[in-house]
Formats: sequence, C-alpha cells, structure tokens
Amino acid sequence: MLLKAEKIIDRFSDFLGNVSAIIFLLMLANVFIDVLMRYVFNDVSIAMQEMEWHLYAAMFMLGVPYTLRTGGHVRVDLVYEGLSVKRKSIIDIAGGLLFLLPFCLLVGWYGVGFAHEAYLLGEKSGDPGGLTHRWIIKAVIPFAFFATAVSGVAMILNAIIALKDEHETHSDRGLL
Amino acid sequence: MIGIVMFFVALLMLIFGFPVAFTFGGVALIFGVIAEGPDMFAFMPFRIQSIMENVTLMAVPLFIFMGIVLQKTRLAEQLLEAMGKLFGGVRGGLAISTVLVGALLAASTGVVGASVVAMGLISLPVMLKYNYDKSLACGTICASGTLGQIIPPSIILIILGDVLGIPVGDLFQAAVGPGVVLIGIYVIYILIYSWVKPEAAPALPLDDDVEHRHQMYGRALKAIIPPLALILIVLGSIFAGVATPTESSALGGVGALLLALVYRQFSWKMVFESAQETVKVTAMVFAILLGATAFSMAFSYTGGDYIVEDVLSALPGGTMGFLILSMIAIMILGFFIDFVEISFIIVPILAPVADAMGIAPLWFAILIAMNLQTSFLTPPFGFSLFYLKGVAPAGIKTTDIYRGVIPFILMQVGVVISILLFPEWYGLLD
Amino acid sequence: GLTLLGTSGAANAEKVYRLKMAESWQTNFPIFGDAPRNMAAMAEKMSNGRLKITIDSANKHKAPFGVFDMVRAGQYDMGHSASYYWKGKVPNTLYFTTMPFGMTAPEQYAWFYHGGGMQLMEKVYGKFNLLSFPGGNTSNQMGGWFQKEINSLEDLKGLKMRIPGFAGEVLAKLGASPTNIPPGELYTALERRTIDALEWVGPSLDLRMGFHKIAPYYYTGWHEPATELQFMINKRSWDRLPEDLQEILRVAMRTAAYDMYIQSYHESSENLAVLDSEYPNVKIRTFPEDVMTALRKANDELLAEKAKEDPLAKEILESQANYLKKVRHWTDISDKAYLNSISVSK
Ligand code: NA
Ligand code: NA
Repeated sequence: MLLKAEKIIDRFSDFLGNVSAIIFLLMLANVFIDVLMRYVFNDVSIAMQEMEWHLYAAMFMLGVPYTLRTGGHVRVDLVYEGLSVKRKSIIDIAGGLLFLLPFCLLVGWYGVGFAHEAYLLGEKSGDPGGLTHRWIIKAVIPFAFFATAVSGVAMILNAIIALKDEHETHSDRGLL
Repeated sequence: MIGIVMFFVALLMLIFGFPVAFTFGGVALIFGVIAEGPDMFAFMPFRIQSIMENVTLMAVPLFIFMGIVLQKTRLAEQLLEAMGKLFGGVRGGLAISTVLVGALLAASTGVVGASVVAMGLISLPVMLKYNYDKSLACGTICASGTLGQIIPPSIILIILGDVLGIPVGDLFQAAVGPGVVLIGIYVIYILIYSWVKPEAAPALPLDDDVEHRHQMYGRALKAIIPPLALILIVLGSIFAGVATPTESSALGGVGALLLALVYRQFSWKMVFESAQETVKVTAMVFAILLGATAFSMAFSYTGGDYIVEDVLSALPGGTMGFLILSMIAIMILGFFIDFVEISFIIVPILAPVADAMGIAPLWFAILIAMNLQTSFLTPPFGFSLFYLKGVAPAGIKTTDIYRGVIPFILMQVGVVISILLFPEWYGLLD
Repeated sequence: GLTLLGTSGAANAEKVYRLKMAESWQTNFPIFGDAPRNMAAMAEKMSNGRLKITIDSANKHKAPFGVFDMVRAGQYDMGHSASYYWKGKVPNTLYFTTMPFGMTAPEQYAWFYHGGGMQLMEKVYGKFNLLSFPGGNTSNQMGGWFQKEINSLEDLKGLKMRIPGFAGEVLAKLGASPTNIPPGELYTALERRTIDALEWVGPSLDLRMGFHKIAPYYYTGWHEPATELQFMINKRSWDRLPEDLQEILRVAMRTAAYDMYIQSYHESSENLAVLDSEYPNVKIRTFPEDVMTALRKANDELLAEKAKEDPLAKEILESQANYLKKVRHWTDISDKAYLNSISVSK
C-alpha cells in the first residue's frame, strides 16, 4: 500500500524531471538562437529574450521535486553518514514533517495568491514586444512547491518503509 | 537576537544530515512564524521571483551542461590527463591543470556555483581515478571554482563598484593582480604538497622511452585542442562582443555538443541524459538558494540586520585596526549571509568610515572582494562546499571537503593580509 | 501593517503611528534613496515623533518591482518607486513618470498640481486601493552612451541598445533593436560592443557605472525629460491616520520630491564638471534634426494607438498634450527666450 503510493508519486516526480530536461534543452537552443540572431542578423526579439528566463526559471523550479525524488539534494553528512538505516529514516521522517512539508505548503499557499493577482490584472511584460500571460510563470511557484511537498510525502513514505524493513526499499535515496 | 539563535539552530540541524535546502527553509519557517506570524512568508513568492528573473544565474545550468557533456564524452578527462602529462613527471600535475582550467572558467563567468559544479564534474573523477588524495582534490576544485569572484568579469566587483562609487573598469583592472597572485600561490602550494606527500598527488605514468614520450606529447596536444578551443570560444565570444558573459555559457554548451559530434560520441540519448543530470544538479543549487533566501528573510525581518548594523557602526577607530576588524566582521558574516547582502548592507556602513580615514576606495574594495571570495569556502555555510558535495561521487564525505579547503582558506587569508600590509605591491594606492 | 502604540488613556495627540515603507532601490542608493529618508525624517519631526516611518530597501524585501503588489496587499503601508514600473500590470500607470517629448520637470509639476494630473493619477490608482504622489524628479535624463555616432536615420537601423519600456518601442519603430541586458552585465556588454548603446540616468548617476571610460559619445536626452519617482500609500493605512498626520505626510512627500529634484540638478552639474575636466575625450552630442523628427513621429503614432485602445489612456494623453501646449508657450517665451537671448549677447 505504502509502496504503491510512493511509486505513483515517484512517477509524477520523474515526469516533472523529464519535462524539466526538455525545457532545459529548449532554453539552450533559445539562448543560442538569440545570440546568433543578434550577432549575425542584428535582430533582437524581446519576447525571445524573455522566453530565456521563463524557461530557465521553470526548469529549475520543476527540477526541485525531481531532485528530491532522486536524492540529489545536498546533505551535510558529518553525522548522517555513520547512522543506521533506522536512524537515517527517523531523521528523514522528522525533517520531512517538521521542515520540508510546512515550508513547501506555506510558500505554495502564498504563491497561489501571488499568481492569482497576476492573472486578475492580466499582467504582462512591461517591455515592448514582451511576453504576455505573466501569471503562467508566476503559477510555477505554487505548482513547484506543492509538487515538492508531494515528492516529500514520497520521501517520508520511503523512510517509513525503510524503517519497517531495514533491508530494502525500491528506490535509491541515499538511504540504503 | 532571534537571528543569532536561529543561526545556531540551523547549524545544529544541518549536522543531522537532512537536505541543506529544506533545513534552511524549515528553520526559517519555525523562527519566522513564531516571531512574526505566517504572513511573513507572503514575501517569499517575491523573493523567489527575483531569483527566477536573475538571468545572470542562467550561467549555472549552462556551464553544468557543458561540464556534463564533456564528462560523458570523456573529452574533459582527456584534456586533464593530457595537461597532467604535459607537466611531465611533475607530481600534482592534474591539480595544477585543474587550477588553470578553473582560472579560464573564472575569466568567463562571475557565478561561483557554475564553475564549482562544472569543475567538480570535469576534474574530480579524473583526480580520483589517479588516486589523488580526496581532500586535496576537493580543496583544489572549490578554491579554483571560486576564482570567478575575483577574476573579471565578476558580479561581486560590479556590485562593489556600484556600492562604493568606483568605476567598474578600474576595479576589474585592480583585481587582476591579486587574482594572478592567488593562482600562483595555489600552484606553488600543490607543488610543495605533492613533493612532501607524493602519494597524495601522484604524477601521471610516463613512458620511459624517449621516442614514445615524443609521441605522447603529440597525443597530449591533440587531446588538449578541442576542449581548450571550447573554453576559448566561451572567452572569445565575450571579448569579441558576440555574447554577454551569461550567453557565452550557452555557446559553451552548444560547442560541447558539436565536439561530441566531431568525436563521434553524439547521440540523442546522451543529450537527454545530460539534460536530466543538468536539471538535477541545477535544482540542487537553486533549492539551496531558495532555502537561503527564506533564511535571510527570517534573519532580517526579525531584526538581525539591525544587530549587525549596531555592531559594525561601533567598530573602533585607527586605520589598521578598523581595516582588520571590518575584515574579520565580513568574514564572520560571510559564514551565513550571502555576498550580495554583505555588499549592499554591510559595505555601505563601513564605506563612509573608510572614506573618513582616507583609505583608498580601490584598496578597500579589493580587500572586501577577496574576503567575500573566502567566505564561499568557509565551513559550515560555504556555498562552494555545498555545490561540490552535490556533484561529488558517493565516496566523498563532507569532512573530506572541509579538510580540503582549509589550506586554501589560509592561503587566501595570507593574500588578504599581504594586500592589507602592502597595497602598493598591487598598485592599489593611487 | 499599521500598528498603534502609546498609552491608552492619553490624548490622541500622544499616539505614535508607525508606517512601513518599501523602496525599489538598494540600500544607500544615492539621490533616489535619499528622497524617502528625507521624507520620513521630516514627517517625524513635524509630527513631534507621532509619525514614524521605517524604510526597507530592495535588498531586504528583494522585490524592487513588487512594491506595487506589496503595498496593495498591505504587506507594506507605503512605497517609493516609479509609476512606469507598473505598466505591465496596469498600462495607464505609464503616463505618470515621464514621456518622450513630454513636459519638463517644472511643467510636469504644474500639470500634476494645477493641470489635473493628480486627479487623473487618482483615477488610475484608486481602483487598486492605492494613493500615489510625486516622489522626486531626476530632472532631464541623458539619451545614453553610444559607441558610434548617430548621423542619420540609417545609423539607427539595427542599433542594439539597452533602452527599456516605451522609449524602446519608439526606437524600435525606426529599426533599432532594443535589447535586454541585466544591469550587472551592462558594462561588459557595452565595452565589448555586444550592444552599441545604452541609456542609464544622467551625469548624476552614470559616472559611477564607468560608462564614460568605454563609450566615446554621450547623447543629450529626448526620451525622459522629467522622470518623476512616486510615493504610494495603501488607502487603508492612510485612512487610519488622523487628519493632521495625513497633512504632515502630504507636505513631507511634496517637499521631499522637490528636494530630490534640486539635488539631482546639483549632482548632475557637479558630475558634468568632473566629466568635462577629467574626461575631455567624451563627446556630448545631440541627435540630428531628421532623427529627432522621425522619433517624434513614431512617438505620436504609438501614443495615438494607446489612446485608441483605452478611453482613460485617451483622457490622460489629451490632458497632457493640451497642458503641454499651453505651458510650453510660456516656457518658450520665459526660460527658452531668456537662455537664447543671453547666449547671443555673450
Ligand atoms: Na570572473
Ligand atoms: Na560562508
């Protein structure tokens, strides 16, 4: 049951990781094309230039839950390294419940109002020829934080499973 | 007072090993909500947006991608091995090559996260492969990856120029000397270290036969050309005005893909996997920035900034005394405050005093820049240390990194002291 | 939010009102940052300590372009910023800072306080529960730093220039390429000619950026003849103040705005003298007449489009155009005629 829930969430986080990877490649192409157009053709598009930071921001924000799922967030392992699986799991459960979930949920909550405001005002770029629909990129903030909270739930589930059965969990979070 | 308590609690919590980013965020949340209520966190989306719009940091994912592609195609490995061999039987050749490549990267970006991570990806595996001492390898990478702060173009120098009212061009010029001295000292240190402790930085195996050796030099040169060309493209595109420093990192990424194509290492699978890894490492770096911005928000909105101001404005007089104390203050603050904040909040408090004492602004600015560079390396909150840990293989412990940077921190402090005592050596007095 | 402190039984006069203000500038940013501090100091003194305003810089709140939202939401009571920063959220806020070929600072102040400007500003900001007041003028801004001389319209074609906002739109109509460059990279970009030109403020603030060392041409202004900063206040915070404190705040803002105008004027003249004596190689130029005519035509066309899209925009633009016509006639026969006549007799 727990395992199944964890697997479903993991698939969601992996999906976000793939989306981010594609967004990154688009961003690379975007910057490259912008340089090429400006230098070779003396042609600058404000919309394309703004698209650069839209893609870049979406890429790292959506990457955060994915990185949590793959155990990529840095830990200081002065103590952690030497602990038993049981103790590591307890730290992850406690940290998840005390730090990660409240932080992500609270920021996500305020992010909703932030994006909603932009939607109501019809906010767009202040520069000529810039991008419209600013609310979309602003909505990435609550979405990414909620997704990170969801991914954090999977991390907690994973630790619970590890706590029950100290030998194996199916995914590698650096726990085992 | 809350800010100070919060700092020590965060320190304690970090040691338990929960991810750094969320420990910062969680501690900030607990203290912020207790002191001011949850509404303080309504500021968070604004702070996050300012990180999202900071395109200067776009160099981070782009350089990471370049590093990963070079690593996956083994081109980076060949470069470092070849450079290591060019230094002949010299021990520590790989570490010296790392410093030099780091210096070149530094000259193309002012973003520390980008070069530390790229260097970690490129040269750490190679040094480990040749049985380098882990600490030496990590220290070398953190220190040379952080060079981007002082070697122009550098964000910190631009900000300091603005805050202190010094033209950026003058600052860039003044920073070259100390930067080169730093590079020189790193190289000398590595030479001495590997002479004293040969097993820590073994020389690469060389052929005994002289003829073979000549062939080897030829091969080495061939291996150096492509990645070096890449770095030259990045640097050249800035100097020729083709691209801004940030954009040049995209040219580096595209260039790396072209090299992969030329060396028949290209596949779409490789590209996508590199992008995936880039996302992972980038998100690691930015999650720390997100957690840290929550932390500094809670610190300043609970009055921490006023405490800092009070302490600093009470610094006693006397030119040398003032300089020494303000350098120590900046270094301590560097443990937990981001360099941008130091430049904007701390420096303006100190600048009028320095001015009244007749301290040359260039001298003061370079001292601060060197000092801030050091703060990236100082445990426990040195950002370079976190970044390297994030890309290092599983065998590398936080303690390896901490131990590795200590000698480099001491060297930096030494250079700061030399600037303090002999500014005329660096031409900082006019 | 706004908090009330003081002894409960005491007279109203002893209550201390505290307002929190967010500015769009970094700590210790000269001139711009002096205005709100000067205002807060005056308000506190005039109210005998009953009105205390604390100011958070952009490095504390991290949202130079979020001041509008934060003041509107009540996270801050007040803001010090510039109205045209909000044109992406509320297009009609564009017109209350400065416009290309628009009024000079004294003309624009006259429009605000006697020509219906304040009422129009209230019409725009009132909907968002905000009050807006003039917040200090930079005086005429320079046209920017150029790597090459502009001798004809042809030289504008493909000119890569960092010039944000409406003025960029005007230039784009003549074939220039407005380009976004983050401020931290402007120096390198101009030095290496990644861009051909950029605009910043004027001598008062440009010299610390060092552009005079890397670009030979400094063009006179056309696009920001009277950049007016802005004080904004959340309506609820304002309403909670007693009437006398409201009046004190109003006077303090108006005085601080005037003080900033003369401070900018002074600093510009000081820095221009430095430029003249220490960097004689910098050539100060004005765009040739045909370029100016074309810019003006493009500007008029764009304004006509804006007026067509929105009735309130039309009302504001007409008010400005009509007022400008009247007031410029006076400027011409007073200041302009004076300057012309004495330069002839010199
Ligand atoms: Na640099
Ligand atoms: Na530090």
